Parts: sequence; structure tokens; C-alpha cells
Amino acid sequence: MTTHRLLARQIRQATDESGQVDLTRLGELVSAAYEESDRDRRRTDRAIKLMIEELEQTHKRAEQDLLRAREFLDSIIENIPIAVFAKDAKDSRYVLLNRAGEEYYGMPREAMLGKTPAEIFPENIARLVNEQDRGVVDSGTPLFLEGHLLDVGGKGRDRLVNSRKLLIRDGAGAPQYLVGVIEDVTERITNEARISHLAHHDALTDLPNRSAFNAALGERLELAQEAATSFAVLSLDLDRFKEVNDVFGHPVGDMLMRSVADRLAAEADGAFVARIGGDEFMILMPDHVSREDVQALAERLIETIGKELEVDDYLLHVGLSVGIAFYPDDGVNAATLLANADSALYRAKREGRGRVRFFESEMDQELRDRRLLQHDLRQALEQNQFVVYFQPQARIDGEVIGFEALLRWNHPTRGFVPPDRFIPLAEENGLIVEIGEWVLREACREAASWPRPLQVAVNLSPVQFQAGDLERSIHQILLETGLTPTRLEVEITEGVLIGDFTGALHLLRRLKALGIRIAMDDFGTGYSSLSYLQSFPFDKIKIDRGFISNLEASPQSAEIVRAVLSLAHALNIPVIAEGVETEAQRAFLAREACEEMQGYLVGRPDLIERYLDLVGMTVERRHYA
Amino acid sequence: MQIQYLHWNAAHGWRRADAFREPPQLVLYFGSREQLLDGQRYRELRGLYPDSHIVGCSTGGQIHGDDIRDDEVVAVALRFAHTQVRLVQEVVETRDASRACGARLARQVLAVDLAGLFVLSDGLAVNGGELLAGLTEVLGPDLPVTGGLAGDGTRFEQTIVGADAEPSPNRVAAIAFYGASFRFAHGCAGGWDVFGPRRKVTKALGSVVVELDGEPPLELYTRYLGEEEAEAMPGSGLAFPLRIHDEAEPNRQIVRSVFAVDRNARTLTFAADIPEGCTAQLMRANFDSLAAGAGEAGRQARSALSDGVDGDKLAILVSCTGRRRVMGQRTQDELDAVAAELGEDFVRIGFYSYGEFAPPTGSGRCELHNQTMTVTVIGEAAA
Repeated sequence: MTTHRLLARQIRQATDESGQVDLTRLGELVSAAYEESDRDRRRTDRAIKLMIEELEQTHKRAEQDLLRAREFLDSIIENIPIAVFAKDAKDSRYVLLNRAGEEYYGMPREAMLGKTPAEIFPENIARLVNEQDRGVVDSGTPLFLEGHLLDVGGKGRDRLVNSRKLLIRDGAGAPQYLVGVIEDVTERITNEARISHLAHHDALTDLPNRSAFNAALGERLELAQEAATSFAVLSLDLDRFKEVNDVFGHPVGDMLMRSVADRLAAEADGAFVARIGGDEFMILMPDHVSREDVQALAERLIETIGKELEVDDYLLHVGLSVGIAFYPDDGVNAATLLANADSALYRAKREGRGRVRFFESEMDQELRDRRLLQHDLRQALEQNQFVVYFQPQARIDGEVIGFEALLRWNHPTRGFVPPDRFIPLAEENGLIVEIGEWVLREACREAASWPRPLQVAVNLSPVQFQAGDLERSIHQILLETGLTPTRLEVEITEGVLIGDFTGALHLLRRLKALGIRIAMDDFGTGYSSLSYLQSFPFDKIKIDRGFISNLEASPQSAEIVRAVLSLAHALNIPVIAEGVETEAQRAFLAREACEEMQGYLVGRPDLIERYLDLVGMTVERRHYA
Repeated sequence: MQIQYLHWNAAHGWRRADAFREPPQLVLYFGSREQLLDGQRYRELRGLYPDSHIVGCSTGGQIHGDDIRDDEVVAVALRFAHTQVRLVQEVVETRDASRACGARLARQVLAVDLAGLFVLSDGLAVNGGELLAGLTEVLGPDLPVTGGLAGDGTRFEQTIVGADAEPSPNRVAAIAFYGASFRFAHGCAGGWDVFGPRRKVTKALGSVVVELDGEPPLELYTRYLGEEEAEAMPGSGLAFPLRIHDEAEPNRQIVRSVFAVDRNARTLTFAADIPEGCTAQLMRANFDSLAAGAGEAGRQARSALSDGVDGDKLAILVSCTGRRRVMGQRTQDELDAVAAELGEDFVRIGFYSYGEFAPPTGSGRCELHNQTMTVTVIGEAAA
């Protein structure tokens, strides 16, 4: 038997130099060793017990953490608004399905979990699903199907979905699960389509819009350059559409526009019809349509649009003007082709509307000239190129009672530019507001300097009513020039009342309250002047020169003049006839009791210097005053 | 190199073989605080070796050969043939000054042929980890530094170090060895195993752990030791050192044992800084694993010592007081294990400490250890 190392050591320690063992000492050592051993064992036992407790607690905590993490993930997967499923990679048995998945498949998860596709779906679908599953498992490559139609499930068969399937491997790399997500993208795709449609179509008529037309034209030009074809571009503009809008209101205008668009599209079937702006359309014709056929189509379009249209119980009448340019003869790029079709359209409108014009090279010049004129117009005011002419207005017996102030433009190189050429331009770009104010100031200043308190009549443009503060500026000019308001007469056309009728009426009433007289110009040429007469107490009516010049030639004109006069008299409104050139005309008007007249018979429009005697000034006084 | 072993006890005073013909350069001695504090032992040694550097410290038990000699002061006188020896020392007034002190010591010994450094430091007033950091900062990580923190049994009241003077607290002594002939090798191992869950150091201030898993650390130790043994903290706490996992240095093996207890704050002070946020795990050991650890330290030192050593070979064993406390009468098992690995041709001397200095296995940089056996072997090659 071998002695334990510790005991041997203890015996050695208890043995003295003579070899005598001190038993008491040995006993102490052995006892202490037992005690140490016991203490160590107790400590160890205690440590093990505590450690187990602690590990249990830790384990419990970890379990709770795990449970919480699991609940968290479960709740996310459950509530994610995308169908999520997982299947066993071996046999495609479903092992997980979330709420969106139940909705997608149209069945509760109990009906799917633990089952294979064959046990759930019709045979043809199960076969397809299995094929896809095997493909993903065998290749390890994810499957992605984009925007495919829903082939199974309860949501209805018109839904579009994106689906994705991918393989999950276990730790050893063996296929474990197939995980799939299916997202309903119907809304998104239809929204995208709607947005794309909106981007390329006009919301009112649903015709392609300007950008779609430009794209189509660009494409056609590319093709045409390769294939050496020719084709026509038609530029269309509705005549009198603005009036319909103004008179009947936008809802009616919109309905009319839709109806026009439908007619155009139906008539030009096979061509690309686009609405590119307010009342402007473009048509891109198919290749190789002959000039004659294009012309015939354009004429049919004019005829169709020119027919009376019944919209919302109104019988409406608009017209159509058409300009045509051909590729490649009239232009080889989009900008030139469009500009030239526009030039042709402009000519068609200028020549009286309701017409078709093909582009001709001089039209180009004309359009450019128009632009140049517009440019010059901007400088005319600063460079004092405008002049005010005065034309006398007289009682029917010949006594001059006032003058109409008329604007003239003395262009440095062109000479006098006719008002009907530049006034529409000034109205277009808004310059008329500034110019009109200038005319008014000049006329008032002039009139204020006359010894005789004659009337002065000034024309106001509808644009001046819409823009700026007309009332304030007239008031300011009267104060500045010192002209008595009762000597000022403003002439307006019915265009002032069309549009913002209430606003214009309000303004006229305030002007009248200042003492200013209001005359209705160009009477008889517009839409509904009679109703305007009823709604505002005009101080004078001016019969359009067209009726006067036709007095002798056309019995109808005489009848109209008579009718206007009797109407005006019935309403107690004096009448002035415009364009009186002959004694015969004057005599007719005198017979019919027309109050006043204006025209060459009395005097032409001219610088006031010519009429100094009429305003009561001597030449000398004028010079030295 | 020649070695003379000598020892002192109350009954017969100093005993030694015949004196060297030439005076030794260095005398190392270890004794309990009581044996050394009055300076008498130093004065006696000075009488014996008037021309030598005399360095010693208080311990938790002196080691000579296979035995623990609590009632003796043990010493060796070393006579080198080729090696130069320098002794430097510093006083550390506050724990915070430990790092700067290490750097100052290093600057004093730095030389091209510096071959090794053996450091004895106050074990309570000095932050051993910072002291070594200061040394390494100047010397670089490759210079071998070993040694230990002086002990005070299991009382943790006062530790003393003497360097050519009577031993006193707050002192750090470093013995520097120079020359190509000097041979210096070391081994370091514990034999402890981690157990129980990993805990988070939720609050720490330097070397004071304020919270472990949100709980005062004294609660944990009280639970594990039992109320009765917990009364004997910090000594009894040595049974459960902490293994520290620092995320910044995942491969660093750090073991820390309890040094001091604040029973009011219920905090524990450890031998060196413990970073807040790191994880800590309790460790435990049994008699056999500790002995096996010590044997491993001896094996490392033996195998690291190059061949061709001429003359005597010294092994300085610095083992942790905590090991002794756990092993009790079985402590000698670890001394036997070191002896078995080293072989019989080493003179073995040493002490039970409050911390060991040695580069850990696989890393050159010197570290402060707790709960290890470190073995430093010294010799000289033939010229």
C-alpha cells in the first residue's frame, strides 16, 4: 500500500530529528486537512448549486428573450401586407402562411399548412407550382415573376401580383425551406398606367397631348428619313370657341370641346389627332396620303365642325381653320414643319376663317413679319412713334359736337401701320394697357386745352378692363389734365362685357358715376348686344360702319339701321352712325331721326391742328399760347 | 553563475554554506512582513554582504525547494561571472502614479545590452497593471520582465519592499541584468477554469467594480462563499477569481482576484483596472488542476531556457496567495509539480504574492497576473 502524498508529508512534518512521531501534531495536521477538504467540498457544492440556479435563470431569461423575439418576428410576418409562405423544400408542404397569404389564397391557413400543392390546388395549378418549386430547389436560383395575373386564390382573377420564391438551406447546405412572398401590385401598376396616360393625354378630351404629339412626330420623322416617305401635318384652330366659352361658360365650353374632339377623331380616323392647347389641335397623317386627299379630309373636318352642335340644350356654332404642311417639302424637322403648318393656319384664319390653306413659302415671311412687328411695337411707345388723330363727330345737321380720338402708329421704316394690324398684336401681348392709357391721357390733355367744351371719345379695349386698375387710372388722368369728366366719352365693344360680365358692369357703373359717358361701339356686329342694352344704361349707341356703307346697296342694311334706331329711341338712347360719307346717307339717317354722325362727310381722322377752328382756337393763339 | 542559499529562523538566525571567495553582486530575500518590518534581517544581510545589492519583500509564504517556510526567511546570494547587475527603485505615493513610476524605472535601466528585468513591488499601494504598462511603454514589448507584488499573508494590510535598505511600503525595486551571457526564461500558468454564466461589468471605476449585472459585486461573492466565509473577504474571495473578457483584446487572458472590500458600498477592488462594459466570469479550481497549472509554468520556463548554461541555475517561483489559500496543506503539490518539470538541477526559491509579473504564453508583453504560478529561471552561458 502506498501512503497518500499528503499523509506522507504530514508524517514527515510531525517527525522530529530523532525520528519520533508527534502524534498530537500529526492529528492536528490530518484534522486540518480534513477540514480543508470539507471546506473545499462545501464551496464546490455551493458553487455548483448556485451555478445551476444561475444558469437556469439565464436559460429562462434567454428563453423569454427568444420567445419575445419570436413573437416580435411572428407579429411582423403575420401583419406584413404581403403574402408570405414557407414550404418544406423536399415535398413543397406548406409550413408557414401569414394573414395576407390567407387572403391571397382565399383559404384559412389550416387548409394549407402541412399539405402539398397537389392537395390544395387544382391539378393544372399544382403542377405549375411544383415545377416552379423544383426549379428553385434544383438550381438554387430565386424565382421572380413580375406583374403576372393571379392564378390561384380568392382575391378575384383580375389582380396583378409580383411573386418571389427562394431557397433556404440548412447549416449543412442542404435545401431546407422554400420561402415565397407575393405582393399585390394591381393598384401600383394601374396607377402607373394612369399616370403614364395622364402624362400623354389631354385630360378634357382624352386625345394625345402636345408632348405625345411631339414624340409621335419625332418618331415619324425618324422613320420617314429612313424610308423616304412623305406625310402631312395639319394645324387646326377652332373659330369663335372663346366666345362660346365666354358667353355660355366653361362647363358648356368643355362639353363643346369634347364633342369637337370626338368629331375630329372620328373623321380623321387612322390619323394621329392631338389636342395641343386651348382650342388648337394637330393631326399627323399616315404616310403617302396625297395633297388632294389631305385637302378633302381638311374640308370634311371643317364641314363637320361647322355643323351646329347641340350641347346642354344650347345650339352652338363654331368653325375650324386648317393649315397644312408636308414632310419633306415644307420642312424636314419638327420645328420647321410645325411652324409652317401654323403659318398656313394663320393665313387661313386671316383670310376669313373656316378655310384650308397649304403652306406656301411666302407665308413663312408673313409670320416672321408679324413677329417683327410685335417686337417693334414694344419700342413704339418709348420712341414716341404713336400719334393721336381726331375725327369730328357732329349732329345730323352738321354741327360738330366732339371728336373721337384715334390711335395711329407712325413706324420709322414702315410708315403708318394700320390699326387693325397692330392693335390685335398689342392686345395679344398686353401692351394695349399701357398704350391705351397713353391715348387716354393725350386725348384728355388735348380736349382740356380746347376753348370750346366739346366731347372727346376714346376707345377702350376689353384687355384694359381685365388688366390693371382702369378706374383708378382714368380718375388719375382726369385729375392730371383737368378735363371735366362729363366731356369724356369711352367707347366699348361688347367684347368688354363678354367674359367677366359682372365685373365689367360694375366698373362701367363706377365710371358713369364719375360723370363719364359710355358708348356702345360697333353695334349690330356681335352676339347679343340687345341683352347688354338692357343691363346697362348706355349713353350712346354707335352703329357699325358696315351697315351705313351698305345703305344704298342693300335694303337689309337699311332695315337693320331702322330697327336699331327705333330700338334705341324706344330705350331713349341716342345713336351715332359711323362711316357717313355721302349726303344721301346723311339724308336717310336724318329721315330716320338718327341723332349724330361721324365720317368723311364731316371730316377725316387727322392731327388736331387741322381742326383748330372747330375747337375754337386761332392758329396764332395756338402758336403763341 | 554561482548560487548560495541561506535562510534565517528565530531559533538559529542565519545559516549558510561557506562564503564566496568573491562577493556576490545580488542577494534576494523573502520573508513575512513581521520578519522583515523591523529592518533587522536587512541589516544582518548587509553585514554578511557589504558590497552586494540586497533586495527583498514581504510575502504570503516563502518557498524553498518543495517546501513552504512560513517561519523562515529565505535568501539567495548570486555571483555572476559575466553579467552586470543594476538595482533601481522608486516610491509610489498614490496608486494613480503607478504608470509614471514604471516609466521612470525603465528609463533608469534602459541600455542596449539590457537582457532582463526582475521587479518587486509593493502589493497594495501600487496598481501593478499600470506599473507594467509604464515599464513596457519605455522598454518596448519584447524585453522580458518578470517579478511580483509583495504579499501580506491573507491580511491585505501592508506590504513592504527593500532595495539596499530596510524594507518599507510604497516601494518598487527593479533588478536589471545586462550582457550577452545572461540567460532569462519564464513560464506562467494558472490551472483555473471558468464556470457559471458570463456577467457584465455594468459599472466600474478603475480597479473598483461597482456593479456586476447591475448588482453590487459583494452580493455575488457572498452568495458563492456563504455568509460565514464571506466574513473573511477579501482573503476568502481569492477562491473565486474573475476571468475578464475585453472585447478590444479578445485573445488576452486576464484573471483578476479581489484585493479589497468596501462593505458599505458593497464594492470590490481588484488587482488592476477592470474596464466597464466588459464581461466577467467566475473561475474556480481544484487541488489537482492548480498543481497541474504550476507544472505547466515550470515546463514553459524549462523549455524556454536555452542550452549551454554554465554553472548554477536559479528558479524564482512567484505564486499567488490565492492558490495557497485554496490548496491549504496541498499547496506543496504545486511546488512538487514545478520541481518535477524543472528537474533537480535548479536552486528553487520564491514566494506567495499578491500578483505575478510575466509575459503570458504566446505574447511577449509583460502582464500582471493573478492566481498564477510564474517561474523565472536565471543562468549564465559560458563566456
